[in-house]
Amino acid sequence: MITTLLIIHALCAVFMLGALTHQTLSVWWPPRAGETSMVARFRAVRGASYTNTIIVLFIATASLGAILYPSYRLAVRVVLEDLRLSAANGVFELKEHLVAIGLGLLPAYWYYWKEPAAENRIAAKALTTLLALIVWYGFIIGHVLNNIRGFGS
Amino acid sequence: MRVARVFPVFSAAFAAIYLAAMYNNLALFSYFPRGRQWFFLTVTDLPRSAGPGMYWYGWLATSFLGAAGIAALALIAPASWIARIARVASWVVPIAVILAVIYILRGWFLR
Repeated sequence: MITTLLIIHALCAVFMLGALTHQTLSVWWPPRAGETSMVARFRAVRGASYTNTIIVLFIATASLGAILYPSYRLAVRVVLEDLRLSAANGVFELKEHLVAIGLGLLPAYWYYWKEPAAENRIAAKALTTLLALIVWYGFIIGHVLNNIRGFGS
Repeated sequence: MRVARVFPVFSAAFAAIYLAAMYNNLALFSYFPRGRQWFFLTVTDLPRSAGPGMYWYGWLATSFLGAAGIAALALIAPASWIARIARVASWVVPIAVILAVIYILRGWFLR
């Protein structure tokens, strides 16, 4: 059951990672007129259309993480402590706090994407970038920690 | 009056309250996964056999309630004034909080 939830948690994170990376690159590096390369098309998305999906995926991924968290606390963290891998514990602690801050960012993120006035552009860009960094960090750290403990162990 | 205009206030307040909640362990409730026990507010004095306590859920709840309260108060402030402050605070406050959290957690990396 836990392994199934962990896989669903990871899949939701992958979808969110893709959507947020599209959106972030579209605000920081929009394609120039006439650019048709694959990278340019990756950046040419209409960022606003991703907003609701990203919010739903963030909440779903964080909720699944919250369900899995007690298992991590009892089965994984103890092992990391026994192995004296305090940096591994530290990076997970940071992930936990970043996800919490990310959840709090969602209302502002939604608002500034839905109110695309010129004076809101910097806020939308900053919030999108922050969320992307949080999600990338969470994804990489989750993957690394899962590798330390071992799949299904 | 559009409630959505105070969403950025909620986000800034949430980050700041979360920092205070995690630093001072101000959890609205505590969870002890070994016995699947929930307690109201921060509980730290259970016997060792109860296993480790989890406060993250409680910190989230504390931050949500506090930020909702501050956002509700912001509804009665002038909209243009709130919009100008929240436009910057909604992302500057979370960045400052993230830096503070990294500083608080430095012990994990310096052992």
